[in-house]
Amino acid sequence: MKRGHRPDYLLALGVSVGLALLLGAGIMALTGHPPLEGYQLMLQGAFGTPRAIGNTLAKAATLCLTGLATAIAAQAGIFNVGGEGQLYLGAMASAVVGAKLAGLSPWLGVPLALLAAMAAGGVYAWVPAMLKVKLRVNEVITTILLNSAAIYFCTYLTNGPLKTMERGISSGTDAIDPAFMFERLIRRSSLTESIFLTAAIAFLVWYVMRKTTAGFQMKLTGQNGRFAHYSGIRSDRLAVGSMVVSGAICGLVGMFEVFGLHGRFITTVSNEFYYDGMLVAMIVRYNPLGIILMSLFFGAMKIGGSAMELNAGIPSSLVVIIQSIIIFFMAAEQGIVSALRARHAQRKAAQTLRKEAQE
Amino acid sequence: MNELISIVNLGLFQNTLRTATPVVLCALGCLMTDHVGMMNIGCDGMMLIGAFAAVMGSWVSGSWMVGILFGLMAGLLLGLLYGVFVIKFKSDEFIIGVALNIFAGGLTTFLLRELTGQSGTFHAEGGLSTLPRLQSDWLEQIPVIGQLLNNNTLLVYVAWALVAVCWVVIYRTPFGFWLRAAGEHPQSLRSAGKSPERMKYIASLLCGVLACLSGAHLSLGYLSTFSENMSNSRGFIAVACVIFGRSNPPKVFLAALLFGFIDALGMRLQSLGISSALTATFPYLGTVLMMVLLVWRNDRKKKRLARQTAKA
Amino acid sequence: MQFPGVLANDDVSLDIRKGEVFALVGENGAGKSTLMNILYGMNAPTTGKVIVKGQEMTRFSPSEAIARGVGMVHQHFMLTPSFTVAQNITLGREPRRGVFSDLKKANAIVEDLVREYGLKVNPADRVDEISVGLQQRVEILKTLHRGADVLILDEPTAVLTPQETDDLFHVIRRIVREKRMTIIIITHKLYEVMAISDRVAVMRAGRLVGVEHTRDVNERALASMMVGREVLLGPMAHPPVVNAEDAPAVTVENVQVLDDRGLPAVRGISFQLRRGEILGIAGIEGNGQSQLVEAVTALRPLRGGDVRIGATSIRGLTPGQVRALGVAHVPEDRLKTGVSAPADVTDNLIVGREKQKQFSLMGVHMKRRAIRRYAQELFSRFDIRGAGVDVPVGSLSGGNMQKVVVAREFAFDTPVLVISQPTRGVDIGAMEAIHQFIMDKRNSGCAILLVSADLDELYRLSDRLLTIYEGRVTGEFIPSAIEKAELSYYMTGGGKEAEA
Repeated sequence: MKRGHRPDYLLALGVSVGLALLLGAGIMALTGHPPLEGYQLMLQGAFGTPRAIGNTLAKAATLCLTGLATAIAAQAGIFNVGGEGQLYLGAMASAVVGAKLAGLSPWLGVPLALLAAMAAGGVYAWVPAMLKVKLRVNEVITTILLNSAAIYFCTYLTNGPLKTMERGISSGTDAIDPAFMFERLIRRSSLTESIFLTAAIAFLVWYVMRKTTAGFQMKLTGQNGRFAHYSGIRSDRLAVGSMVVSGAICGLVGMFEVFGLHGRFITTVSNEFYYDGMLVAMIVRYNPLGIILMSLFFGAMKIGGSAMELNAGIPSSLVVIIQSIIIFFMAAEQGIVSALRARHAQRKAAQTLRKEAQE
Repeated sequence: MNELISIVNLGLFQNTLRTATPVVLCALGCLMTDHVGMMNIGCDGMMLIGAFAAVMGSWVSGSWMVGILFGLMAGLLLGLLYGVFVIKFKSDEFIIGVALNIFAGGLTTFLLRELTGQSGTFHAEGGLSTLPRLQSDWLEQIPVIGQLLNNNTLLVYVAWALVAVCWVVIYRTPFGFWLRAAGEHPQSLRSAGKSPERMKYIASLLCGVLACLSGAHLSLGYLSTFSENMSNSRGFIAVACVIFGRSNPPKVFLAALLFGFIDALGMRLQSLGISSALTATFPYLGTVLMMVLLVWRNDRKKKRLARQTAKA
Repeated sequence: MQFPGVLANDDVSLDIRKGEVFALVGENGAGKSTLMNILYGMNAPTTGKVIVKGQEMTRFSPSEAIARGVGMVHQHFMLTPSFTVAQNITLGREPRRGVFSDLKKANAIVEDLVREYGLKVNPADRVDEISVGLQQRVEILKTLHRGADVLILDEPTAVLTPQETDDLFHVIRRIVREKRMTIIIITHKLYEVMAISDRVAVMRAGRLVGVEHTRDVNERALASMMVGREVLLGPMAHPPVVNAEDAPAVTVENVQVLDDRGLPAVRGISFQLRRGEILGIAGIEGNGQSQLVEAVTALRPLRGGDVRIGATSIRGLTPGQVRALGVAHVPEDRLKTGVSAPADVTDNLIVGREKQKQFSLMGVHMKRRAIRRYAQELFSRFDIRGAGVDVPVGSLSGGNMQKVVVAREFAFDTPVLVISQPTRGVDIGAMEAIHQFIMDKRNSGCAILLVSADLDELYRLSDRLLTIYEGRVTGEFIPSAIEKAELSYYMTGGGKEAEA
């Protein structure tokens, strides 16, 4: 982010969030729920108890990873909207590995599952990336379509060939070795040891994007592909590479869900996790630090929203609405600001000219 | 082998038409905006909201006509929203599209809960007034084709008519020329004294209306109710059809039919014992394949043309 | 007709009389196009008035201008590529049959226009399939169809061959004489002004410098009015540097290259480039120079022939690999290819070197401080004017942006330099500086390939000149031994082609 633009941008972000929260309050009032109470419940739901804090942090971690996955590809000019499918496949791959390798030492089993998840996500992202780079097929559409394909495929596997024989499980694959599972850090919350891995990955992504030559070249590729090619940058390779990394990270997110919470692959392993993270990334214009910070805010909103629903009956989809309003305002921010600036400049110019004419 | 043949019957093609229609209507809207240079990937969200609005209208009034009306009004509002953000505020159309989709999901789920107290799939007590089917005894008598064309819900016929109307408007009327000029070379239109921005707004409105209409068909004509996220990425398939058909209405229509066919085929294959989840992947994989083939074919055509002109 | 107008900052007042050909000259950015855009209603003046045929313009829009009989043919044509000639000419006022458009009538209208004005075009042709000269005719017919009797032509000959330029001037003279039309021609080509105009106004930096009858001035006088001083840059010294015994630095052998449409753009060009010399390529844009440059720098595949840097062939190499052989490239389109506009000056200056030992740890971690220091050093050495190395390159002026490109490429210290249109859109001060940089490189033993549309620049810098026409070399010359006029002859197909 260019230094001159940052205060403008932060102001716009603040205003957008504020306005969106106001609108949310309005919607709450219109549907007969007292807004202040609603937001209070949200805050409590996110931070009120240790369990809540754990859930919020866990949610923020997921958002952070998926957001960074979006960002690292977006910086190179390639839009990975298929993270959801990559997540599913990563979860499935890790679940299969975790079950098949039961009995092995966790020091072997878990890393292997990690690799499986990254490979599954990475490969599934590689396909649309190659299609874009070699054949110029629009990757937004292919990745979205491949999402549905992947999710259905995993459903098929879960209810079909890979369906577990365990009694009492109506839908799911075989359980992974319990020794492989991540420990919960806060009792009865979804916060697990995977958060340490998340932090490491977040740092790594930030470092690569901001401090390495690869990140620099990716940034240039995204800004002006012709210039990158002319300068000798292997922009094709970088674009595909960033997409594969993006897919691998999404695969990892899926693996964390399986190995941290469920112990097997279930069809509800994710609920639009990737899209939420993608949203965060878009709002902060793919800035890695921004993603890390914003994911906390959005994580709190998400967890708080569920609590709000449980206790006051305000549907948590309200949170989704508020989030999308923030994006609308942020997307329009540049346009509104430049339109306002242009008019202001024109008025000033006319003023000065009139003054000069009088002298 | 016999089993395979038994799948390919009249029912398969009838289902093709039913499945394809929402995509056709939505695609017609998207190709309008494509001609003015905007790719509206938010049409999936528009479809969802249209579906919801139509069901609500029908439920509240007891008449499917009011449902359609609600859908159309929603379409105008959404088209205006999209237009204002993309044209006036110059926002990135991709981001606005994604935001719209997310917004639609949240809004419909929220309103479903708040207005009806239900969630998931909507059950209207006493049933819902759905779109009428149009029947003609005369058509029924014509073998195969007649039976195919007969007994479809209203909007299916509307969709066919719109394909023709759109083609005529875009390629044979001045309005269509202005639309295309606004997308291809807005400055040329402006220097001719017409406003490209106005064309873009009109296209946005039309897209909103058509996308919501497709949603109305989805909820009132195809599935006969509303369920959360029922658009199921059909909007993106519509966009893929627009790309595949090069924004030319009849070609886009064929692409949508192809999608419908694959989808219907998938459902039929279930009767052979193939899992429904697996067959559900077919339309999506099929569309991706379609797009790849299209680009590949384009490339080869260009190279062939170049070789010919070089020889001349 | 009279119009005082206001441009950005400055106050311009002009009178233009009916039935005359009025030339408006000035450097790039002098404000001529802006002024004319106001007349055509594309922009509104901040203060001031525009009076057309005795009536003041109150609203500023193209339809207003059209209604008053003002038509404009822009430098970049306002034509919709996939439409036919007739469709483009009748855009906005299409003949109809009910709701539908009547294409037959449109074609008939065009044929009438062709008969009346003598500008031959085929109404049914698609605009993206006809030549540039024909496209311009379509533009002119479009304005005539809209009832223009005041015609503004913005840099009309920029994209025309000399033959097409002659045709255009014929047409202009005819319609002025027969139809008593008023023509305003915006140009920076002084010999055209002398050839066709009755009166001429000179603009500089947004201000009007003077208005004269063409018969009262000459090119030299106009030029000095345009830049406020002796513009004709003096000749530069060419000390002998080339060592005849050295092997050539670059060998281009029977190179054939296709353009974007798959048609041959370069049809067998061969030459050698030695260290310490500047080889200039002279040709009208669109005769294969761009594709030649792209082929030499591996930005475009070689269809036939070979290019060797030293003894190494570049067949199959990537641009990065060619650079590694010792080639740097100043591209002809700096915004599209030469810089990344949103990135800051530092980033743009370090590209290509970021993996080197002094700027990165093991080629991975970027040493930001060292990079910034390097950028600042280049910033001052190449006299780049701007707020500093942290601003986005897109905010710099054209001349300074070009200096960034030159700084980066020259700082690679490569033995071979490929330079394309180095001073296009660059102000005179920056032009002089860049010419000096190029000369210094030559004198230190660099082999330089220079492509330029500016004959003065080529004459000033080149040791040898090659003329190029339709993808082939038509002659090789020493600048001091051939007049510009004669060189133009070779640039348009004379010479080898004519003999064959």
